[in-house]
Amino acid sequence: MKASTLGAGALLLSVAAPFAGSPYRAPQHLDVDGLVAQIERGEDHVTALELAGWIRARKPGLRVIDVRTPEEFAAYSIPTAENIPLDRLAPTAFRENETIVLYSEGGAHAGQAWVLLKALGRDNVRFIAGGLADWHYEVMAPVLAPDASAKDRKAFEAASELSRYFGGEPGLGPAQEPRASDTATRPRVATLRRRGC
Amino acid sequence: MSFADSPLAAFLIGTAFGFALERAGLGDARKLAGQFYLKDFTVLKVMFSAIVTAMLGAFWLGRVGLIDLAAIHVPETFLAPQAVGGLIFGVGFVVSGLCPGTSCVAAASGRLDGLAAMLGLLAGVLITGLAFPLLEDFYRSTDRGVFTLPEMLGLPYGVVVTLVVAMALAAFRLAETLERRS
Repeated sequence: MKASTLGAGALLLSVAAPFAGSPYRAPQHLDVDGLVAQIERGEDHVTALELAGWIRARKPGLRVIDVRTPEEFAAYSIPTAENIPLDRLAPTAFRENETIVLYSEGGAHAGQAWVLLKALGRDNVRFIAGGLADWHYEVMAPVLAPDASAKDRKAFEAASELSRYFGGEPGLGPAQEPRASDTATRPRVATLRRRGC
Repeated sequence: MSFADSPLAAFLIGTAFGFALERAGLGDARKLAGQFYLKDFTVLKVMFSAIVTAMLGAFWLGRVGLIDLAAIHVPETFLAPQAVGGLIFGVGFVVSGLCPGTSCVAAASGRLDGLAAMLGLLAGVLITGLAFPLLEDFYRSTDRGVFTLPEMLGLPYGVVVTLVVAMALAAFRLAETLERRS
């Protein structure tokens, strides 16, 4: 085919373009009912303990995303996590088969990130409801109350094993506040207090 | 894994890309260097044709609903690091007469300079990777986010398509004139 023919074809298609309207599909409305159903079924989040199990088992396609600032991430993060602050989340490419687990300091930002990714059409997204505080109290320093039932004891044994894998210190008695010695090595977690979701 | 995610898809697209480059004569460093001395405009013509073809294809396929344009990944803009990267890329381009894609094509067709450029490319990737902790602050600086030409210019998509094609056709005409003169 001659170059001039190709050029004329391109010209024709381009001149018609302004009259063709938008090439984007009409914006999809967010499936609010579907999202509410997922939230009610608890499919929107995982517990910190579940995540710890996934990390240890090297769950295929798992991506742990820390949505805090790079400074906060540098100070302390969950092992294997990558730092993608909220403003970078939308342009980030995820693969179909990936399981995305979001977390933040408390839980609010990760929950908001969950809605953002859902709005962008991501399927397999979850977040840690209580954020890094959950990670600290469930994984790094789980405790067993003195009056715990046999079932609680069993769960604590399993959690303790996981905890040691991540270098945590499972203990007995009332919930441990992070110790002073932790402050140097884990500054962010050391200042965490459980503050609800 | 879907086909689009598979290494096979990447291999097929890469092979087609290499084939097109070789057929356009871009495995030859002299031809590429000719672009910088304004003697041979093959690079400009090939690249601009590719841009126009892809743009018209994406626009019209999107318009008739065969592809979802919003699903196409648009890379982020980081002004300063990308300007510096472009400069390094350009210097390498002039010195070797090859770019990453054409160096592979040149090596595949048995040209030793292509092989040398490819090894240099891999060494550069390795060094950048190793030095990344030092470069990271700069790498992430002057972030302008994701935007497309229509968004930046505030013009309808179709108008930008017309403008880019008009620019390309004018560039082709100018290139032919300059080539005839030299």
